Amino acid sequence: MESLLTSPLHDRHVALGAKLGEFGGWSMPLEYAGGGVLAEHAAVRDAVGVFDVSHLGKASVTGPGARAFLNATLTNDLDRIAQGKAQYTLCCDDASGGVVDDLIVYLRGDDDCFLVPNAANTAEVVRRLSAAAPPDVRIENLHREFAVIAVQGPQSKELLDDAGLRPELDYMAFLDTDWDGVPTTLCRSGYTGEHGYELVVPAADAITAWDRIFQAGERFGARACGLGARDTLRTEMGYPLHGQDLSLDITPNQARVGWAVGWKKPEFWGRHVLLTEREQGPKRVLRGLVALDRGIPRPHMPVRDASGETVGEVTSGTFSPTRRVGIALALLAPTISEDDEVVVDVRGRPCPTRVVKPPFVDRSPQA
Amino acid sequence: MIPDELRYTAEHEWVRSGGDTVRVGITDHAQEALGDIVFVTLPEVGTEIEAGQSLGEVESTKSVSDIYAPLSGEVIARNDVLDARPELVNADPYGDGWMIEVRPTDPADVDALLDAAAYGKLTGG
Repeated sequence: MESLLTSPLHDRHVALGAKLGEFGGWSMPLEYAGGGVLAEHAAVRDAVGVFDVSHLGKASVTGPGARAFLNATLTNDLDRIAQGKAQYTLCCDDASGGVVDDLIVYLRGDDDCFLVPNAANTAEVVRRLSAAAPPDVRIENLHREFAVIAVQGPQSKELLDDAGLRPELDYMAFLDTDWDGVPTTLCRSGYTGEHGYELVVPAADAITAWDRIFQAGERFGARACGLGARDTLRTEMGYPLHGQDLSLDITPNQARVGWAVGWKKPEFWGRHVLLTEREQGPKRVLRGLVALDRGIPRPHMPVRDASGETVGEVTSGTFSPTRRVGIALALLAPTISEDDEVVVDVRGRPCPTRVVKPPFVDRSPQA
Repeated sequence: MIPDELRYTAEHEWVRSGGDTVRVGITDHAQEALGDIVFVTLPEVGTEIEAGQSLGEVESTKSVSDIYAPLSGEVIARNDVLDARPELVNADPYGDGWMIEVRPTDPADVDALLDAAAYGKLTGG
């Protein structure tokens, strides 16, 4: 087996008895001893949870015209945000409109942007941007230079306040700050649906940052949370995961992330084909499913209508710890609409489900 | 944790002998590997089960596993508590997390199962 990369916090995870799993070439915590997906999920919904997401990519785009270059390539409209704000955006294939990656852009200035792509796609995003960049714009892959720690949950603000940061930030706003000697980018963002933050710190300072968070977090019941809980939390919100609900074969129109596309922009990768598809209507649409019995839909399970006709496939599916029922995201034929009942083939057993509009839980990260 | 007094299968079920019936569950190793268990599907009382065949399922937040019959016989009890509290399989796999009781077709079948030492070897414990 190819050897996996490890986080700068790896020793902390081992000490906490983490079960480790592979994510995009990195060995990362799935869940922790004495925790487990359900307890870790509940900690984030009810109090505060801390995730090491250092496997996420990091890259800088700098030089005169950096922002304009990204605005002419990535889908979302960077002119819609001000300096000091981050934005969810997509890197699409220009020819097919399929999604190479979904990522966050931190806008530091017109000539300074920071990207956080997915672990498995970072090299490809950097490759595509580098190939297209004007001579003055420099793309640098900083994947292993930084750690990313997500602090998520209703108590996250108080925790970070106690830890000596200034967490008074609007949703998707960020701050570059000196945190008692640790150069920190603190962003009001996350992948859980809760009020939360993501901290980007130099890899060499990761342990200091992690320890400070847990020291301050003790009185809030802060729990280390693995990527297992991160997946149930994001699925409950209906947030797509690249590699499952988004991919080179799935367009933003199909995945219903058209809100992250600046349709009025004169230029971005995939513009032509995506505008055409948008006008004609996508051939399949990502929708939510809630199980009506004890079945749990899992990725790749077929979805059928009442007559037994295959109408799509599950892309993400899991047990919702909050609702205690199976939930899923599925790419379905456009003939299927909300409130319809469709059947997921769960290992040969029909599991009736209701088509719904996510999120599956009544939470908002903007609260 | 592999109690000495139980018998085991290579598929990570345990069997506790008690007169002419046996109690069946999954091992600590199995629940640990599965993670948080959210649904347990068990056969109804009266069901005839056949050694090596699937008798039910254990589903965790991340995956689903078959439960295999360690021996042939008739189901004479099922742990109904698990319908509402599947987490007992994680918390107490050899106790409150038991699954079914079976009247074996041939009580001698129990002796053919793995003992604690053999199962320990199998799981690297």
